[in-house]
Amino acid sequence: MKKSRGQTPTKSLRRRDFLIKTAGGAIATTAFGAIPLRGWAAEPVNIGGLYPVTGSFAQIGHACVNAAKLAVEMVNEAGGIKSLGGAKLNLILSDVQSDTTVTRTETDRLISGNKLAAIHGCYASALTLIASEVAERAKVAIITGSSTDMLNKGRHYTFTPFARASQFAKAQLQMSKLVSDKPKVAVVFENTAFGTSTSNGLKEQAPGEGVEIVLFEPYSAGFADAGPLLNKVKASGANMLFAVSYLNDLILIVRTVKQIGLKVGINGGSGGFVVPDFYKNVGALAEGLQGVAHWNHDVDANAQKVNAEYKKRYGEFLFEYGGGLVAQTFMLADALERAQSTDPQKVRDALAALDVSSGYAAMAPGGKVKFGPDGKNVYGHPVGVQWQHADLASIFPKADARAPLMKS
Amino acid sequence: MLETVVQAVINGLLIGGIYALVSIGVTLIFGVVKIVNFAQGEFVMIGMYISYFLATYFGIDPLLSLAISMPVLFVIGVGLQHFLIRRVLGLGDMPQIFLTFALSLLLMNVALLLFTANYRTLHTSYSDLALHFAGLYVPVAKLVAFILAMVLSGILRVFLHSTDMGKAMRAAAQKPEVAMLMGINPDRVFCVATGVSLALAGAAGSLLMPFYPASPTAGQVFVLMAFVAVVLGTLGNIKGALIASLMMGIAESLGIQFVGADSGLIVVFAMLLLTLAFRPNGVAGGSAR
Repeated sequence: MKKSRGQTPTKSLRRRDFLIKTAGGAIATTAFGAIPLRGWAAEPVNIGGLYPVTGSFAQIGHACVNAAKLAVEMVNEAGGIKSLGGAKLNLILSDVQSDTTVTRTETDRLISGNKLAAIHGCYASALTLIASEVAERAKVAIITGSSTDMLNKGRHYTFTPFARASQFAKAQLQMSKLVSDKPKVAVVFENTAFGTSTSNGLKEQAPGEGVEIVLFEPYSAGFADAGPLLNKVKASGANMLFAVSYLNDLILIVRTVKQIGLKVGINGGSGGFVVPDFYKNVGALAEGLQGVAHWNHDVDANAQKVNAEYKKRYGEFLFEYGGGLVAQTFMLADALERAQSTDPQKVRDALAALDVSSGYAAMAPGGKVKFGPDGKNVYGHPVGVQWQHADLASIFPKADARAPLMKS
Repeated sequence: MLETVVQAVINGLLIGGIYALVSIGVTLIFGVVKIVNFAQGEFVMIGMYISYFLATYFGIDPLLSLAISMPVLFVIGVGLQHFLIRRVLGLGDMPQIFLTFALSLLLMNVALLLFTANYRTLHTSYSDLALHFAGLYVPVAKLVAFILAMVLSGILRVFLHSTDMGKAMRAAAQKPEVAMLMGINPDRVFCVATGVSLALAGAAGSLLMPFYPASPTAGQVFVLMAFVAVVLGTLGNIKGALIASLMMGIAESLGIQFVGADSGLIVVFAMLLLTLAFRPNGVAGGSAR
């Protein structure tokens, strides 16, 4: 109650301000044609960013915010949104605290309290699902790198420019053929919702990909010793190990494989496996391990440029989600440019019509972004990565490979 | 097949050594001070962080930092007994349970605040080494941890049976009133017992560090097994706790191998239930010493 009373005057003031300026801009544009206007400060375009900077995702949430800020700076330095008189992007951040309930209220608050053109968020699929529901109801577009396929069901304002969860499993299975012509895969997964759903995806698609699963073993997350579990993997005769695990268990698994001297390729999947923190914990043992990602910093020259800048600022390479976020910000800029408006509905329509194959907006595996009716990038696919020399190199599929497979 | 079984037994035995250090600490406090220390796992966690920071900032090997983590935790233990536990003795079970349980939550959350939830891993030269023979492997870090755990348990036994303080401790454990009549100061004895118990937790933490990542909740993984071992090995009986810990490590490992990786604990708890049904006082019988 208090909130809305406090905000109404500023809101209407802004709107009036905005109308006057847009009208002025329109007159000026007709008078001077397409010549950019100087000495006339365009109203900034508000973009909402929802990230968990506290709670269990805090560390990665912070890194997302860093990437989001870098992206906005890049757009603004390149002259902002030209069709809106060089308007600068203004990132309005909100902490969703790694909590679904907080995500709901924060998304609501962000949308109702600010005049937003569009929003992006929230790293974790569970949080993004909630934010996307709220955004759908408020009719504000949300663009996200979260991978759950549920984000593409019955939604009209949700856009997912990168590979979906179901595609990750397929890519993982195909990658096992890099290790052996006859891959014998052991799948070990923690017996949680995350572990069970991911591993079931692998199991269902394995026969279609011609991959034999020789061990399919759930385990209790948070074990004291990975020895007994890997003793089972050894006995199964597998030549490839898929571990669907969080960081702690994964560290123990990787170390124990080394101790046993087990000749087995390891694919650690996505998420916590493809961030710099993984290498910090596992060290040289990570060399040669495979994973999958929806973005990698070597996909094209632009990505490498952004990565170099990020590395200079934060001392580590630009991770999957952060890099995707930079591309997403440029997709939004592209949409704003074409919408020539900050009206969320027009921005949404312009996003739906997005079709890019060059520039920062197109830095994704495959190098093309165009949304289908379900908000999915029709060209979207994951990239197979491998830890090589303390860095992540893209090695799969052939078209996206930027380094040869390192044999371990 | 035989190779797989032998390997499973080796794996179980080695991790059982760590369980033993934690459970001996729990059973020692219980036997002497008659209090259940729910915070034992958090003291293991503190031991891990001590070794982690000493290794990271001063380059001290975690096995050497045993010489620092054990005394530090001994002093913490004496303070804990003197300032906190002493005040709830004789007040019944509830205040004692609340005290150590609250301490557990407090320490875990303080660690979360100070060290964040991030995992911290140490890489020592022997972290990833293993001895290989006859198709079997024995990880060096775990073997060293196991041997040192057994040595520490042996020293504790000598201490309890051959020194005046150790004998006083056993006397106070059996009948505090009579011990007092014999000129034993129970407060002092209790302080030493809690100190020794926490020092063992600290030792477990330091020994874990070369192969297990430290985190604020790391102690929780080991404390559950320790409690089962304490019950299985007869409450307050040190030899019983040691044997039970090793048995549980092996049972868990074999359970994972032949029942399923998410049901290793089923075997452990089945073993506990059977033992309680047929030997209600635990494997060591009715004696608490």
